Amino acid sequence: MTIGMTTTQDRGGQKKVGPAMRLLRLLANSRELTLGILVLSLVVVMSIAFPLNFPTAANIRAVLLNLAPVGIMVCGMMLLMIAGTFDLSCGSTLALSGVAAGVVVGWWGWPPQMGVVAGITVGALCGMVNGLIVTGIGINALIATLGTLAIFRGMTYVLAGTGVTPISDAFARYGQATDPIFGIQSLFWVMLIVALVIGFLISQTPFFRQYYFIGGNARAAKLSGIRVNRMLMLGFTLMGILSGLAGVLYAARLNSAVVNAGVGIELKVITATVLGGASLKGGEGRILGGILGVLFIALVENAMIINRVGVFWQGIVIGLVLLFAVSLDRFKNNQRG
Amino acid sequence: MTAAPRLDISEVSKSFPGVRALDAVSVRIEAGEIHALLGENGAGKSTLGKIIAGVYRADGGAVKLDGTELVDIDERDAGKLGIAIVHQEGSLVGQLSVAENVFAGRQPTRWPGRIDRGLMNRQAADLIARLGVAIDPRRRVADLSPAEAQVVEIAKCLSLDLRVLILDEPTAALTLTETERLFEIVRALAKEGVTVVYVSHRLAEIFALCHRVTVLKDGQHVGTRDVAGTTTADLIRMMVGRDVALDRAKSGHATGEIVLQAEHISATPLVRDMGLTVHAGEIVCLAGLIGAGRTEFCEALFGARRKESGSIRMAGKPLDPREPSDGMQAGIGMVPEDRKQSGLFLDMSVRDNITVTVARSLTNGMLKSDAKAGAVARRFIDEMKIATPSDKQIVGNLSGGNQQKVLIAKWLAMAPRLLIVDEPTRGVDVGARAEIYRLLRSLAARGVALIVVSSDLPEVLTLADRVVVMADGRLAGELPGESATEEDILALATKATTSVVIVDAPQTRSHL
Repeated sequence: MTIGMTTTQDRGGQKKVGPAMRLLRLLANSRELTLGILVLSLVVVMSIAFPLNFPTAANIRAVLLNLAPVGIMVCGMMLLMIAGTFDLSCGSTLALSGVAAGVVVGWWGWPPQMGVVAGITVGALCGMVNGLIVTGIGINALIATLGTLAIFRGMTYVLAGTGVTPISDAFARYGQATDPIFGIQSLFWVMLIVALVIGFLISQTPFFRQYYFIGGNARAAKLSGIRVNRMLMLGFTLMGILSGLAGVLYAARLNSAVVNAGVGIELKVITATVLGGASLKGGEGRILGGILGVLFIALVENAMIINRVGVFWQGIVIGLVLLFAVSLDRFKNNQRG
Repeated sequence: MTAAPRLDISEVSKSFPGVRALDAVSVRIEAGEIHALLGENGAGKSTLGKIIAGVYRADGGAVKLDGTELVDIDERDAGKLGIAIVHQEGSLVGQLSVAENVFAGRQPTRWPGRIDRGLMNRQAADLIARLGVAIDPRRRVADLSPAEAQVVEIAKCLSLDLRVLILDEPTAALTLTETERLFEIVRALAKEGVTVVYVSHRLAEIFALCHRVTVLKDGQHVGTRDVAGTTTADLIRMMVGRDVALDRAKSGHATGEIVLQAEHISATPLVRDMGLTVHAGEIVCLAGLIGAGRTEFCEALFGARRKESGSIRMAGKPLDPREPSDGMQAGIGMVPEDRKQSGLFLDMSVRDNITVTVARSLTNGMLKSDAKAGAVARRFIDEMKIATPSDKQIVGNLSGGNQQKVLIAKWLAMAPRLLIVDEPTRGVDVGARAEIYRLLRSLAARGVALIVVSSDLPEVLTLADRVVVMADGRLAGELPGESATEEDILALATKATTSVVIVDAPQTRSHL
């Protein structure tokens, strides 16, 4: 709170604003609404501009399939960012988990179910390592997960060299099976289920809502009887499990465990999460926003591909989108004073 | 015609969006006068101080300095004219040295523009010496005690040719002895002809220090009085607009069974072999100097700090809390001293704040129940008269007193058997203060055991059934609430091993 605002707010807190300000503030405060409008406008504009390329079943399916791994990870990242922290190592976790699944199924000949179990277990372990470093040693999440980002990626190379290709046809079915109605691959449905479950947990159960208090004021949360370290440990582990799940499904989809899978994906995940309404200070955000953020980024990318914008431009656009999202965040905080 | 007063404030008004912070306020203040601006939170006293110092611009009216009207000045212009303000929040940069802070942005330089550190340190030392204090100008500000930092703030103002010094709640972080030293400095400055505008809501300080007092209420000028010709009751009536009774506790009422029994608690370096017993329905006030280990002792009981040795029994059952949640399970609540850093979730709603301690039981099956949480929150809003438009209001938008009530409500929601309250009325105005006292007493009457940590001696005497004084992490003595005096308490708090206090707890060693 700035010094200048204190007196104002002590005495009622309401301020006179014009309609334009009110609209801007509504948009800044309801991120889901803003994003929903953006997504819809993008869909409408693209459908009109490229009626042959954009609104086709094949294109929509491709978009939904491509966004699924990011969407799964956004659910974990949203949880962490609500708690005021984040995980940069999720892309490396994804690769390590995928490779673990590939190794046990493709090289050791274990049954495909065991590949799924192995991949998710490795993801959970990666998450626990992050959690231990952050809560146990007390290194901040930026440095801790930057370190594990390099370590997990290195372990992926050490474990599998150039990767495992092919893994096995039975294993590939986990990522390639399509449903009979919409013809969309299982990856998307898994993402949808993950988002629904985690969204429900975060918004409806007191246990998961503790993350909002931790992000709002970690010290006060601890002094209010919330076991902050235990909750953060759980949050990082969940992030690991979801990254592992994404890694396994990604490997299954390609029937190949690629060692450089998910390089740079943390940028996309964090961009989508912030775009979806997470505040860098913590205490804010909802899963719906995160998923809309993923959808928006996926559509922007799709639009660039259809427009034949060079692949090098994608980084620039995504970076700009991230900055735009954070500026909205600043505006909102200014409004609160 | 008489000479123009040092400060002539006439018909000054200031509005913030939606709020009239000052409404045509006029005051004349003479050279060498120590003039108090008194009022509850939000009365407009800080705003007036900031207008004089050029931090804010008035919407209407005029401020004249020695007969010359100040037009469109900012803080820097005011500084050049000899008007300086020491802010409530402090304006020092912790990582830099004392001298660099004193001369922030105006460091003496040597060709070709390099800071002349030798000269700067000498000049800073001189300025600080003028305040009768010795602080090494090369020390980092972050390493100073709050009292020393206050001295540096004032020295920063002295580096200008000072005509008006505005002090905004300068004693908030100071101990009693440090406050005394600050007063001496202020008196000395006034003798040199500096006009001091002293913004405060602490009545005792105004009687100890100031010549005249102007009372503001809701932006209006209620009156200006000679301090010698007025009484505490008068001033409170002017501030609050009604009589506020702050009676002393009628002690000696029957207390119940033992709730807390703590023996030989140590949590070095601040708590050493401290013991305490508290009965149901009893208010025990923990008094002592800052750094005596009172807060730390309570934290060890609650689980916010790990005790190294000693035993705790809550209602007869042994307790060894590792985390606050352990203390809570045993029925202990603790209202922390620093409500913004450690107490409240400022960006969250009143409802979320009040129900955080019990959120996991306000459920339908496994799901949260907004109806149940809302009902709990509204019950406390009613019972404690928390002024908020609804239970969904963001806590950061409430006034200090109401925030404090939310903080206490949060702990009442879990129905504690023992409630520890650390500085229950810090930053709370007189009206809300009386309500908080009444509330704490009614809790005790309902059989809750209370430990109140307070550095405010009148508060201790108002609340305590029993006064327990700590010094140097140990029990220094105990006094019955109804007959204890401020002198008794101070004697116990300071009698102990003063030399040891200085060695072990640097924050109690003040140069003020």
